[in-house]
Amino acid sequence: MPHDTQDTPAEPAPPPARPRQVVVWQHDRARLQHDVIGFGDVQSDTAYGRLLVRSLTRAQLGLSLMCLALAVAVVASLPVLAALWPGARRIAVAGLPLTLIILGAGIYPVLMAIGWFYNHQASQLEARFIDLVDPADRRLDG
Amino acid sequence: MDDATAAAAIAFVTLLTVAVGARGVRIARTPADFMVAAREVQPGLNAAAISGEYLSAASFLGVAGLIVSQGLGALWYSVGYTAGYLVLLLLVAAPLRRFGAYTIPDFADGRLASPSLRRTTTVLVLVIGWFYLLPQMKGAGITLQLVLGTPYWAGVVALGVVVSSNIAMGGMKGVTFVQCFQYWLKLCAIGVPALVLLIVVGHGSTRNLSAEHGPLFTHSTTVRVQTSTVFTLDRPAVVHVTGLLDRVSLDHKQARIAAGRHIVAAGAVLQFGVGAPVPTSLSMAGSSPAMWDSPFLAAGTGGAHPLVATYGVIIATLFGAIGLPHILVRFYTNTDGEAARRTTLIVVLLLSTFYLFPALLAVLARLRAPELYLTNDPDSVVLALPSLLMPGRPGEILAALVAAGAFAAFLSTSSGLLVSVAGALSHDVMRGGVGTFRLCAGVAGVVAILAALPVNRFSLGLLVGWAFAIAASSFCPLIVLGIWWRRLTWIGATAGIVVGGGACCCAIMATMLGAAAHGWGATLLGQPAVWTVPLAFVVMIVTSLLTRQAIPPHVEQVMLRMHLPEALTRHTYRTGRPYSRT
Repeated sequence: MPHDTQDTPAEPAPPPARPRQVVVWQHDRARLQHDVIGFGDVQSDTAYGRLLVRSLTRAQLGLSLMCLALAVAVVASLPVLAALWPGARRIAVAGLPLTLIILGAGIYPVLMAIGWFYNHQASQLEARFIDLVDPADRRLDG
Repeated sequence: MDDATAAAAIAFVTLLTVAVGARGVRIARTPADFMVAAREVQPGLNAAAISGEYLSAASFLGVAGLIVSQGLGALWYSVGYTAGYLVLLLLVAAPLRRFGAYTIPDFADGRLASPSLRRTTTVLVLVIGWFYLLPQMKGAGITLQLVLGTPYWAGVVALGVVVSSNIAMGGMKGVTFVQCFQYWLKLCAIGVPALVLLIVVGHGSTRNLSAEHGPLFTHSTTVRVQTSTVFTLDRPAVVHVTGLLDRVSLDHKQARIAAGRHIVAAGAVLQFGVGAPVPTSLSMAGSSPAMWDSPFLAAGTGGAHPLVATYGVIIATLFGAIGLPHILVRFYTNTDGEAARRTTLIVVLLLSTFYLFPALLAVLARLRAPELYLTNDPDSVVLALPSLLMPGRPGEILAALVAAGAFAAFLSTSSGLLVSVAGALSHDVMRGGVGTFRLCAGVAGVVAILAALPVNRFSLGLLVGWAFAIAASSFCPLIVLGIWWRRLTWIGATAGIVVGGGACCCAIMATMLGAAAHGWGATLLGQPAVWTVPLAFVVMIVTSLLTRQAIPPHVEQVMLRMHLPEALTRHTYRTGRPYSRT
């Protein structure tokens, strides 16, 4: 194959910054490689296809782990904070204890926001991958 | 509580469930049809079905009961149950759907190509499934006990018979519709009473919510003692007593009772005035002023090392949802990986909405119905609350609604679990078809009934938390590593499941038998997830690295199937090497 993979820069993809992620497709570069690589490589398990799939799974895992770290940081930090700052539990807002406000309702929108962010990013990631290996202008069925 | 209204409501829910389930009989023909609905369920519908199946007795009755008896730290259970779905969304939702397995043994065998691992996972599906069935059965037992006055076993047997016969007839196709309907029923059954009670009695003072003192009576209350009980007062109180108190017989006497423990005989009548401290029964002893607003959990560990116990519950619930045997099958009914992600996000929303209400009910119980602290079974708090707060017809109707919702919770979760258990039995143990599946549904129901009879004394929240802990320390590492780590081997997976799941089961058994009542022993045995989950991951990874020769040869293809967006495999012109599920 004419292209070489070690040439591919190990720099973070534009949104958002993810460390340790090997980017093997970039929008402009991928355009040039249309007639060279593609879904055929992925399907017939060539070295390049294998690399493509690995980079996809690595990007997906990176996204998942980042969001997981965020979720765990939100949930698991609360008991530690409460232990470090015992006075916090005595705080009451409008007669309601802080524990009730945070654990009873406040934490749920945060969980939802992390989930929504992940879904959005994951769809974009997959769309970029599809665009790389199977560009719309080369599809036979539309 | 009006027996007739509540009984009618429960009967209605049960009949409706059977009727909706029966619709599926005509459509379900093959064994696959019986176990999973054909893959045509839309995200909104599917998310409601998942939530309907997931919200069990523990959510409906257990969380509120634990908050009342142990304080606000019990909210960690509802937070964990919801966050568990977020973790599931982040780590496994789309790949699991793309893999296309509909049971955990299928996933294990398909990913690691090992019949022996399939057998190990089948055994664990049965263990977790049956363990999770226990609290559902207990919930049915105590609900019918409270509503109809039947003995505990009657409710257990009734639920077991209804669920197993329904599954034997309809299978999963019916169950999908049933579960979806059950979610909305449960949301209404807990949301409407909670909001009505909030509007009617929720105004005014919030002093019972402060942690300066234990709950105080908000109106003068007469307590009739049914069975001899020990109760605790956190402050001295003046009480009007008729009957035997602390072995002294009193007749319409004004007595000053000191703070501390007292014993009261059956038949005694105690009258408390406004502002008197509420005596708390032994089972509610955790709800002292200091515990009420504590953000930590004490359930199951005797109150020792609350921070570690809290993390035990967080780890178990966060990672347990991935490993529950009846949840995976629901991902198979999504149209593709993208839909699986959307479904799971909607599930997080539906669960968040639901869990607002048990907390609200528990707070209302503390605020306006402190006499509930005299109850001996905290799990019946939600059932008893409406008629206590709203005497008369409206209260009865709300109570009937709550009872019906609770029964819907037992029905839906135990249906899902029994399908998984019966599926594992018929598919992996007996290797039979539809007939065997029906037989196994009956057998699994009978086993669950027999096992549920002796667990009456454990709280619902605790039992469900333990089922989550077993799932988190066995199937969760298998599925997560199986999806993301190419070097997982069947030997490593087996070792991790046996060591992690086995250690967790042993710890729970030891706690149930009363091996350690306080200190580190009680904490580490009562909330084992805090050490068994990391243990399972470590054993699985280390053993896999030591047995590299056992890495399955088709691992790249399986990885491709799990992680490649479906859009790439859908186009019709591609004929070479299809990666469709076979």
